[in-house]
Amino acid sequence: MAEVGRVSIRLPSSIKQGDVIRVRSLVIHPMELVQRDKQGSLIRKNYNFIHAVVVSFNGKEVMRVETTQAISQNPMFTFPLRVDGPGKLTVAFSDTTGKTYEGNAEVKLS
Amino acid sequence: MAIMEPIKTTPVVRRRGFLRVVVGFVGVIVSASNVLFKTYAWGQGGSSGLPLPDEPVEATLKRLFGNRPLSPGEGKLKLELPLIAEDGGNVAVTVESNLPVSGAAHVNHIYVISDKNRRPMIAKFSFTPESGRALISTSIRLATTTDVRAVAEMSDGTLYAVSRHVRVTISGCDLPPQS
Repeated sequence: MAEVGRVSIRLPSSIKQGDVIRVRSLVIHPMELVQRDKQGSLIRKNYNFIHAVVVSFNGKEVMRVETTQAISQNPMFTFPLRVDGPGKLTVAFSDTTGKTYEGNAEVKLS
Repeated sequence: MAIMEPIKTTPVVRRRGFLRVVVGFVGVIVSASNVLFKTYAWGQGGSSGLPLPDEPVEATLKRLFGNRPLSPGEGKLKLELPLIAEDGGNVAVTVESNLPVSGAAHVNHIYVISDKNRRPMIAKFSFTPESGRALISTSIRLATTTDVRAVAEMSDGTLYAVSRHVRVTISGCDLPPQS
């Protein structure tokens, strides 16, 4: 999994001022599941999964997601965004190892 | 012998006393760290990566919403899920709402909760006026055939909930046990 942390963001092909668009974002991440021993009890260790997703537009936080291990591997998130003007969209995924994976997209009006 | 007697007894008494102190001390440390660890785990909301204890869905709802009642959200919230999920490890879920995200009464958060997962709380989405509308979709893991709920929390504390039943063919949460 050499590309863990690769973030891709998809925007609609045509965006007009004032539109509420759907943004699709995807991150490559294992989202580790809890493991059990043969007796069926949980193995206590630090599991690596994404626990927070923060979306910001032009530096301002517009959306936040708290996630758990019940989110799939290589998770996809769709979220809304009201576009009042062009700008830079950032989606940051933070995992429990302390790493943050960021993806950027330019929102252009057409 | 008169000399041996005190030498023989004093170390035994000392050792016993010492052991008592040590055992007591270790006990105190263990219980304190247990308490500390639990508060830490709850406070972090799972961001430490350590597994949190299993929870029935009633306990999750109580932890998240206290004793506030869940009002039926039909017509306000739309929850889209497949009827049958062949792979419980990747189930697409969409929550759409016609409730506003700005103004006097607006949606602050949308929760996705699965009744029969080990930890029912799956994700919490928080909106701002810049979101424009309340709409999310993601892919989740389901342990078994279960009801999935979407709960919208309004700015005034009102809760609207809708639920859907999903049949799961292969569990998304079972890994083979480790040796």
